[in-house]
Amino acid sequence: MGELAAFIILAIVTLLPAVVVVTSRNLVRAAMSLIPSFLGVTGLFVLLQAEFVAGIQILIYAGAIAVLILFVIMLTQGGTGTALRQVNEQQLVGGLVAGALTIALLGLLLRTPWPLVAGTLPRSNVAAVGGAFLTNFILAFEISSLVLLVSLVGALVIARREQ
Amino acid sequence: MVPLPAYLVLGALLFSLGMIGVLVRRNALIVFMSIELMLNSVNLTFVALSRHLASMDGQLAVFFTIVVAGVEVVVGLAIIVEIFRSRATVNLDDVDLLRG
Amino acid sequence: MPPASDLALLVPELWLAALGLVLLGVDLFVGEQNKRTVGWVAVGGLLLALVPTWGLAGAVHRPGTTVFFGSYAVDGFAVFFKFLAIIATTLVILASMDYFRASGDRQGSTQRFEGEFYTLLVFTGLGLVLMAASADLILVALSIEFVSLTSYVLAAYLKGNPKSNEAGLKYFLFGAAASAVMFYGFSLLYGLTGSTSLYVIAEKVATVPAPALTVSLALMLAGFGFKISMVPFHQWTPDVYEGAPTPVAAFLSVGSKAAGFAVLLRVVAVAIAPSGLDYVTLIAGLSAVSMFVGNLLALPQRNIKRMLAYSSISHAGFILIGVAAFGGAFGNTGLLIYLFAYMFFTLGAFFIAALIEARLGSDDIPDYAGLSQRAPGLAFLMALFMLSLTGIPPTAGFFAKFYIFAAAIERSPALLWLVAVGVVNSVISLYYYVNVIRTMYLLPPQDPARIQEPAVLRTALWVTGAATLLLGLYPQPLITFARAAALLLP
Repeated sequence: MGELAAFIILAIVTLLPAVVVVTSRNLVRAAMSLIPSFLGVTGLFVLLQAEFVAGIQILIYAGAIAVLILFVIMLTQGGTGTALRQVNEQQLVGGLVAGALTIALLGLLLRTPWPLVAGTLPRSNVAAVGGAFLTNFILAFEISSLVLLVSLVGALVIARREQ
Repeated sequence: MVPLPAYLVLGALLFSLGMIGVLVRRNALIVFMSIELMLNSVNLTFVALSRHLASMDGQLAVFFTIVVAGVEVVVGLAIIVEIFRSRATVNLDDVDLLRG
Repeated sequence: MPPASDLALLVPELWLAALGLVLLGVDLFVGEQNKRTVGWVAVGGLLLALVPTWGLAGAVHRPGTTVFFGSYAVDGFAVFFKFLAIIATTLVILASMDYFRASGDRQGSTQRFEGEFYTLLVFTGLGLVLMAASADLILVALSIEFVSLTSYVLAAYLKGNPKSNEAGLKYFLFGAAASAVMFYGFSLLYGLTGSTSLYVIAEKVATVPAPALTVSLALMLAGFGFKISMVPFHQWTPDVYEGAPTPVAAFLSVGSKAAGFAVLLRVVAVAIAPSGLDYVTLIAGLSAVSMFVGNLLALPQRNIKRMLAYSSISHAGFILIGVAAFGGAFGNTGLLIYLFAYMFFTLGAFFIAALIEARLGSDDIPDYAGLSQRAPGLAFLMALFMLSLTGIPPTAGFFAKFYIFAAAIERSPALLWLVAVGVVNSVISLYYYVNVIRTMYLLPPQDPARIQEPAVLRTALWVTGAATLLLGLYPQPLITFARAAALLLP
């Protein structure tokens, strides 16, 4: 029962702010709403026994990404801009496409018999993740370091002011 | 234990919310935040399936999604800042020199 | 730990990564006026990378050979795309050097961060190589994102130019959304099969219920379709091609597209095909729609880059015929041949557009009037590329189209309608391609001054031109090579 209650609370904490993000006319409010939504997902990770992922999620999403977005809002228009038109001209088509997709997805997810594999996750989450990084996923691990370097160079080139 | 479909449905709802934001909203930053929501739903789906399948691969995938999300923020926000500098707007309606 | 011998099969990738890092260092020590040095080092390094790649091609690798725990393929298919990516990157860097200099001369300024531009191109080339060889969903996602990120930056590279910024922003938002959808598809496929490795998925995919598999394929197609500019994920193409620096547009239309097709084919052929799902109808439909949309929208274009963008969309449709015909005797071979030949004549057409833009400051087709008098060599090459894009003999384009149509006919009678659509579309495309030739040869020039052709760009142009003709006249080596590379499944 406890787990179910936690799930329901976390689901609400995740979804409600997400609705605010998508509908809000105020950029700062949208960006601030991202944080509880990210934290809700983090809680769900804990429920799903992925503690290490949960830690990283807090650090990167709630810590870095949300804060960076807030920075950019301040750098660009200081959170104003509410007077501008908020939706695009394909509002109806876009809404319909997204709605149809949602219904299809929900129907599909509920009907599909998901394969069940016997076994449990390793007890020590961190050790298992570390081991996988250095074995099965070593190439992806190395490539992500290159991706990070290259994006850093790219972002500097783009964002640096002309003299 | 909360059944797997509950998590998957939650992920799908989050994904759809992000999708609506991308398709309907006009502000580059809001579109960008909606994309972050979509990536979060991907993470949630991966982790839920990882527990269901008792395999670590799903959790590992999340790390790489997080890398991708972080890198996208860096590059994307740099581009948005640059646009604002030259145009003083981040509203996609005003970014319209390229029309066919 | 993976055996050290795995690393020996990764020499081209390691070389490219090292080259990119060295370029970052070289750039520090080169003065602002001599940034072309960085470009020359890059070109030299890329050409040297062909040596180990050739070595890999020499060693016979069975289809399905992987290293690093099955996550990375080193089969002939991957080697083929290594060649393609390296050649495309080299030619684009050659073209960029003169593009920047000539634009700078005209505007009286120099391109900032020119050294980093070449470095990013080399890294993008590495990303393309990785994309084509990834055999694990996680690696596929990461390498696609690698290429996308550098491409966003490259598209927005002309900082003072609002159009270029806008191209970067549009490309970024569209690309990030498409990747997110694709990742969601990956997560569902992982849930359905319990693995991220394409070869393991292949073993389990037969038990997956068809509707769920269809939806995850459709979600993944959003990401792949974005990379290959397939309808309905094509909207970014004209805007980005028009706004981005022209060599970058050339690179996107050739490099990202080819690697996108490599990923699409590997995922579909290896992981999805064993399920018995009827993906051919879906792909064939998308192919037909892409051809029609691309060609019909290309008709009214005045801007050469937008015209080439819509042409690029329609060519994505043509190449998708090869994906639909995969599994037949020619399907895969046809697709590889098309991509290889397409690389040369598309790069050539974009390079001429780059040269004209740098010299005249215009992308409008009417400004090509009288080019046959102002620059006879250029006009001849452009005519050759246009004929090749249409698919008229004796060019590489004809041979590529011929092969891909033959593949569809051979594969299944059910694909005959697609071939008919392809032929109709080739005829439609004749109109706007020949319009360029007509403008160049029949209309009088507005300004009779001759157009100077920069030496390096001219070299790149003649290489593409010679390849376009040679592949059309003597395609046998390419056929042999593509046939060896086409086997994907063990």
